[in-house]
Amino acid sequence: MRDKVVYLIIGIVASVLFWIFRVELYEALYTVNGFSDQMYNTGAYGSVAAITIGTAWGIAAIYYYLINSVKFDRWYHWLAMLGVTCVITPIICYISVSQSLEGFDYSTAEFTFEIYNILFTALTFVIASFSMRWWSSNCRHTPIPQ
Amino acid sequence: MRKINRILTLVAVMIVAIAASMAMTSCGGGGLEKAIKKALINGDTTQVTYDSICSIIKNDPKKYAQYLDKNGDINVEALGKYINEIGSKLRPPMSWDISVFSLKNLSLTIYFERSGSMIHYDHTSGGGQLKKAVNDLINFFPTRENVKINIVNDNIYPYNGTVDSFLQDRNIYESTSGTGDASYTDFKLIFEKIFQAQKPGNVSVLVTDMIYSPKNTADVSVEKILNEENSVATAIFKTYKGKSIIVNQLMGDYNGMYYPYNNAPVAYNGQRPFYLIIVGDVATIDRMANDEKYAKFLHPDGVKNTYRFNQVPGNINFKIIPDWKDNVGRFRISRDDQKMLTKCEGDRETGILCFTIAVNFKPLGKDDAFLTNISNYAVQSQTGFQISVRPITSGDINNNNRSYLNGMTHIITARGKFKTKHDELSITINNKFPAWISESSTTSDTNPSAPGFATTTFGLERFLQGIYDAFAPGNATYGKITIKLED
Repeated sequence: MRDKVVYLIIGIVASVLFWIFRVELYEALYTVNGFSDQMYNTGAYGSVAAITIGTAWGIAAIYYYLINSVKFDRWYHWLAMLGVTCVITPIICYISVSQSLEGFDYSTAEFTFEIYNILFTALTFVIASFSMRWWSSNCRHTPIPQ
Repeated sequence: MRKINRILTLVAVMIVAIAASMAMTSCGGGGLEKAIKKALINGDTTQVTYDSICSIIKNDPKKYAQYLDKNGDINVEALGKYINEIGSKLRPPMSWDISVFSLKNLSLTIYFERSGSMIHYDHTSGGGQLKKAVNDLINFFPTRENVKINIVNDNIYPYNGTVDSFLQDRNIYESTSGTGDASYTDFKLIFEKIFQAQKPGNVSVLVTDMIYSPKNTADVSVEKILNEENSVATAIFKTYKGKSIIVNQLMGDYNGMYYPYNNAPVAYNGQRPFYLIIVGDVATIDRMANDEKYAKFLHPDGVKNTYRFNQVPGNINFKIIPDWKDNVGRFRISRDDQKMLTKCEGDRETGILCFTIAVNFKPLGKDDAFLTNISNYAVQSQTGFQISVRPITSGDINNNNRSYLNGMTHIITARGKFKTKHDELSITINNKFPAWISESSTTSDTNPSAPGFATTTFGLERFLQGIYDAFAPGNATYGKITIKLED
């Protein structure tokens, strides 16, 4: 039981650290002169990181506790949820960034940035899954059996 | 088990909620902060935006009490500090001088020279450029109720009429005849009186032909009188170090007797230079130079040449433009130091690195002829960067570079073969004694048909050199731009 709580705490800490170091992490992966400055100035990195964390944890929670079905507990079901997260999150983030950068013309850079953001989305979804799966009545063995 | 599930669902929901609220907060902060940030990022630092920011503060005086004074007016200093605090956290750091929006009404004192040689600038057959220039000064001064007019020659005498009567007067020298002694002009006395009378917030303008014509100069050699003129200028202006002087040279029709130095008067009909000497505290002139309302006043129509004495070197506001059509090679603007380029790489084929900066030269008050002349700059770097300077045009501005070009006046492009690991590009704007003054000066004005008579003024260079030496001995500069580069 204690190990499972440790996983949850690690997951939360990792997500918080992602939030704190969002600018450094995103810019380490993708920097474009001009675009990155405006992402920073408008606080768009904050919105994107928050949306990424929120959707990843939210969809993981939906999978493990709302769907929580024996008919949907195989690894590829989990992978499908990861896929859904990796599609939904960049779309929401793209809309959010477009609103933040209204008036600027960085559509190519915005699109490329969202491609890179899929990596963080997937990582956060994995972290969220391994943080909360242990208490799911039907899916705690997904994606990897205990 | 159900209990644990509920708790975990609650934890997940809380994380989602926290994330959502973080997303909301990262979008802006308070209304005032958001408005300021938006203005800075979009480069919209106009009077309209400033007014809208003020109305946010005034609509919620309790919340924003620190930005209001006791009378409920905007505390410009506190608000300016807050704006620049927000701006300093942006990339690149941005600043906004809002002091110009609260510039208290200045007063203007015109000193209109009425010496023998000035009268003929206002001949009825001429174009009346002199009177037009003075009228323009008054008309382009934002508050006409704060304008005073004096007549000067051997001393300073108040003008008897009103500002309106002065503006409408078609023969100002006729209506002021008998005022003082028009046979000589005592610049030493006039400048000293102007400085002594000048109160904070006052701008004085001496309208003159700048011909040094003191009393009792019979049989005194030209060289002696010019040396005296030079020393007098230095002595006066050294005493008033906090003053700044703008000399505007204009041309006007002249028809009448001309009084050469130490010689018999000669008839002359043609063009002659005259001068508007604007005098004020350095801070006052600096603020006017930054305020569009005073642009026409400081540099009225018809100005042929201009120079500002005692222009204290200041920080030149500039930004490196990350994405510009002329850029060649690669570089990244440092996150920690916006005046530093990292990961610099020349073009793969040519090895050339070319980057562009947007500069605000407006506070210098220099025209494009000066600013785009590369000989006015000293450029130093190991790479041997060469620069070109041009004014920003409306065609240069797009949505992506608007925040970099906002408040900027010129584009400097630096180009060179970048080979070193570290380099430092320094661009110094030299404040040399201007060549036009020497070109507009003569030591002999006895022959009106001599070439250059129409464009030169007796003893001008020595007098103005005296002022220059009083303020700017040695290698004076207007400022310096330094950019560090790393590979």
